[in-house]
Amino acid sequence: MRALAAAAIGLAAALALVLTLTAVGPPEGVTSPEPLLSSVPAHP
Amino acid sequence: MRRRASLVLLALAVFCTALSPLLRWYAFPQLAKVPAGQYQTAVLEAKDATLIDYATLQPRQVPKVTTVQTLKGNVEQARKVKDATGRDVVVWDTLSYVAGPDGAMVSQIPERYVFDAHTQQPVHAGGEHVDGTPVRRDGIQYKWPFLVEKRDYRYFDPMTRTSAPIHYRGTRTFHGLKVYYFEQTIPWTKVPLPRQLPLGITPDAVRQLGLERWYATRRMFWVDPTTGAPVNGEEIHREEMRWTGHPEKKPIPAFSGHVKMRPDYVDSTVALVASQRRLVLLLTSYLPWGFLTLGGCLLALSLLLEARDRRAPAAHVAHDGGKPERPTPSAGSLSRGGSP
Repeated sequence: MRALAAAAIGLAAALALVLTLTAVGPPEGVTSPEPLLSSVPAHP
Repeated sequence: MRRRASLVLLALAVFCTALSPLLRWYAFPQLAKVPAGQYQTAVLEAKDATLIDYATLQPRQVPKVTTVQTLKGNVEQARKVKDATGRDVVVWDTLSYVAGPDGAMVSQIPERYVFDAHTQQPVHAGGEHVDGTPVRRDGIQYKWPFLVEKRDYRYFDPMTRTSAPIHYRGTRTFHGLKVYYFEQTIPWTKVPLPRQLPLGITPDAVRQLGLERWYATRRMFWVDPTTGAPVNGEEIHREEMRWTGHPEKKPIPAFSGHVKMRPDYVDSTVALVASQRRLVLLLTSYLPWGFLTLGGCLLALSLLLEARDRRAPAAHVAHDGGKPERPTPSAGSLSRGGSP
């Protein structure tokens, strides 16, 4: 019984971690202030 | 105490083992997406190319024609489309600027490309265009989806403004990376003239001369199969000005050249893709396999502790004949350090 409870705790923790990670997601970022280039850049 | 440790190890084993498939098949599809605010440039060159001189309407050989391609993620617009459609999208505003050998503009074509951040499929939310003309894309453009398959895809051609298959032609090694090689051939097709032409010439003026623009190309991409990002691109590109209604008149070559990515841009693209590749592999391979292995080890350790815990009292019971331990006077004196 105690083994089942321990397994359930492990599973719940894994689910909680993954759900939190996906809910937060990667940062959205901002639009770059750099222009669309109309000249040939010297380097990348 | 040992019993408690084995239960803790069991919980950790289940945690790690469960994380493995959850990361690969639940977290990865949701977390892997093209960043909305990406900004990227690429410079491509065609050496010893043929280019039309619009002043004389004659072709001339030039040492170099350069194409500067900029992709800029429009985060505000992506947020608006997400609010309207409920989908995670990326809006790329792009500009393909073509410069002659002297750096002067030959043509420039802006585009807006709206696509699903996870699958790279186009999202038709309005605003998509090529050179100001609304388009409805079908298939991919610029980037393949994550975890590229060895199959043909549909690829949008901005010149004809239609999609056509791009064929998987095999696996190659490029700058130390294993990549998939794709090829698309567009046969001679009549295409619109760019709105921005050199010397202030307008598309209408060219049409009034009785000319129309035709184009054919063979497009090649070397694509990293993990991120879906091309690490190199080449095009054998030809353009002609043909006389409308006069197929017997000789066409004027407008452009002919083998367009290749400039070597410094190849290097920077390979470095960028290699770093992004590690992030994708972390979620699809390193972490799932790592957690699975760790989970197995922890489970084995937990079972070992549990088995020892069960064996210890049993061995003790077998040694004293199964009778409960009872203190004796002699044992008591020995324990106190007495001697006979």
